[in-house]
Amino acid sequence: MDFDDTPDEAAWRASVRAYLERCGPPGDPRAWQAALYDAGFVGVTWPESAGGRGGTPMQQAIVDQEMSRLGLPALINLIGIGMCGPTVIMHGSEEQKQRYLKRLLRADDLWCQLFSEPAAGSDLAALRTRAVRGDDGDWRVSGQKVWTTLAHLADYGILLTRTDPDVPKHRGLTMFVVDLKAPGVTVRPLRQMNGEAHFNEVFFDDVPIPDAERLGEVGDGWTVALTTLMNERLSLGGGGTAIGPKSETVARHVAARIGALGADRQALARQELGRGYVAALGARYTGYRQLSKLSRGELPGPEASAGKLSGTRSARDLADLAVRVLGGDARVATTPDGDGVWQNAQAVMPGMAIAGGSDQVLRNIIGERVLGLPAEPRADKGLTFRESLR
Amino acid sequence: MNFDLDQEHRDLAAAAGEFLAAAGGPAVARAALDGGAPVRPGRAELVKSGYPAITVPESAGGGGGSVLHLAVVAEQAGRVLAGPSLVTYARAAVLLADHPDRLAGLADGSLAVAVADDDGPVLDAAGADTFLALRDGDLVCGPGTVTVRDPIDATRGLGDVALGETVVLARDAEQLWRRGERVGRTVLASEGLGAAARILEIGVEYAKERRTFGRPIGSYQAIKHMLVDVYVAVEQLRSLVWWAAWAADHAPGELPLAAAAAKAAAATTLDQAAEAVIQVHGGIGFTWEHDAHLYWRRAKVDRFLLGDDVAAFDEVARLAMEASS
Ligand SMILES: Cc1cc2nc3c(=O)[nH]c(=O)nc-3n(C[C@H](O)[C@H](O)[C@H](O)COP(=O)(O)OP(=O)(O)OC[C@H]3O[C@@H](n4cnc5c(N)ncnc54)[C@H](O)[C@@H]3O)c2cc1C
Repeated sequence: MDFDDTPDEAAWRASVRAYLERCGPPGDPRAWQAALYDAGFVGVTWPESAGGRGGTPMQQAIVDQEMSRLGLPALINLIGIGMCGPTVIMHGSEEQKQRYLKRLLRADDLWCQLFSEPAAGSDLAALRTRAVRGDDGDWRVSGQKVWTTLAHLADYGILLTRTDPDVPKHRGLTMFVVDLKAPGVTVRPLRQMNGEAHFNEVFFDDVPIPDAERLGEVGDGWTVALTTLMNERLSLGGGGTAIGPKSETVARHVAARIGALGADRQALARQELGRGYVAALGARYTGYRQLSKLSRGELPGPEASAGKLSGTRSARDLADLAVRVLGGDARVATTPDGDGVWQNAQAVMPGMAIAGGSDQVLRNIIGERVLGLPAEPRADKGLTFRESLR
Repeated sequence: MNFDLDQEHRDLAAAAGEFLAAAGGPAVARAALDGGAPVRPGRAELVKSGYPAITVPESAGGGGGSVLHLAVVAEQAGRVLAGPSLVTYARAAVLLADHPDRLAGLADGSLAVAVADDDGPVLDAAGADTFLALRDGDLVCGPGTVTVRDPIDATRGLGDVALGETVVLARDAEQLWRRGERVGRTVLASEGLGAAARILEIGVEYAKERRTFGRPIGSYQAIKHMLVDVYVAVEQLRSLVWWAAWAADHAPGELPLAAAAAKAAAATTLDQAAEAVIQVHGGIGFTWEHDAHLYWRRAKVDRFLLGDDVAAFDEVARLAMEASS
């Protein structure tokens, strides 16, 4: 066990730090990502054939740590890098990889993940968006997706569709890459509870998709989707990078405010900071353990879900504490200096406990796949999708 | 960075686990509670195994190992509720570092030590003949009279200590004392980790077998999710324990925060685990015959050792605020 950088890691860290300090804060988010890519710091773990550097998970973690240290924002194409790209690498054709991956890493194209539907969130395999194959072998897609992060800016998406309703629901799915500028695609932004609009409804009205844009085999979409979901949980909870507000930032904020509170409040605030901080440290170091496993070439397992579960919980608690110590200003959206950063952090966090698998669904996964507890009874087991609708 | 145990640690844990399981276990803890039978492995057998002296330098007859080595053994001790606690040996090894003769006595068993804090019954006072304490900032050592009251957890050897004639081992020893406490908190958290991991296993096994309304109870989310929350807490605790042990060995600056975090997490996690697993067992879990209460007893006592969880969370908060400004 050794937390210190190896000589190689230390050299890498120095080069990342030097670059980030030289290149300064981001202006246009796409141009910034492109510059970072050109400098070699995006898609670090991706194979070179996919436009990456063929680097190690530790190298990627070091980039994340250094960006976080400087308070830099997340990359704009995070869903592309974290979820869509790895899925294309694993299941795409050579042609698709050549066409998409490098542009994705440079944010020349932005990507989104078109999985959830109004009637298919936790029960994702219940989705209804239909893809029907024509005589020419190409496809037509109709249906509706929802909660699609970044769809209003995205150029492409990975799209999970139903291609066969007459087999059990997990077996009749097929995955595609879809061009969001294709005829028949309509994107409508949805406003979130924090007032911003990052996610969307996406409507497909007889949208043509060439068969060459299929990812994986026909009917094998669930396997492809599992690749995405596995990477999603890892990128949301693994690797020791925090979800939501950083615990150090909250500690600084509480330290600045705590003197203005009464003695009883101070004791309570310290208890809550202590609890949130211990949970955040626990999540961080559990992420490091995960990273060490990945570095040895082990695959991320279902225990990655634990990181998302606990990281989200502690981030929610810390954001809530940060708002509480504002005193009377905790009742309004902005402090007198116009800063509403904590109130906004508080209003963003509930979504994190839903996105990428809700807390309850993650508990089911851990309970069944890690602890080996008996599975949920499933009323639709053994039925074809069409039968389960009745 | 490689944040995982090495093969050497795993081998050590396996060997220690075998020894401790053979020597102790819930049946022994029960006998100690029921009829005052001695706690096992007990000082003599434990000292013979060499495990308690892992962190004592080889020059004094110890193993010359790290706190991490001791922590992986302590996890195994926690699984079977073994006694006396490795926390006592870990603290004594820190406090006696500049006293080779006494250190050798700790390692060969000729000194039966307990570390006397000032806040009530002392861990492993029962059977101790030599006590270490902090008096007016000085580290003192001497004999004492021990009074044992009704134990909640008999494996902790708790007793009230009246110190006899003491000698000063070190003046202005607050720093040293704090370090001993922090290494002790780390090892205590590791014992808590082992106990919590073990009681979770017991709960999971039962949840797979016991059926109600035609289904195993583990298929009910109320049960499943309760056990998963324990699992998540246990894995976080494991990370914090390893970090604290590593800090004790390699990063003294990180030890105060890491040890306080591990102590706090251990106190809440073991308690959560024991309470949950009693619930999972229903009426059986509330019987004297079932082992669950033995772990529950550990939880209810351990949370007050080396400061309680409230104090540990407070310390984490103060250190975090200090570091951030
Ligand atoms: C901020 C945000 C961003 C998102 N971005 C995307 C995106 O980019 N692409 C995309 O495809 N999707 C995205 N989603 C959708 C997300 O994956 C779903 O919202 C999520 O999986 C839950 O599905 P649902 O909303 O349909 O809720 P439901 O599935 O209807 O769940 C409702 C409630 O029931 C509970 N529940 C459901 N099933 C079970 C069960 N078996 N056991 C116990 N409890 C259960 C849930 O935990 C939840 O509390 C996003 C969501 C959010 C909030």
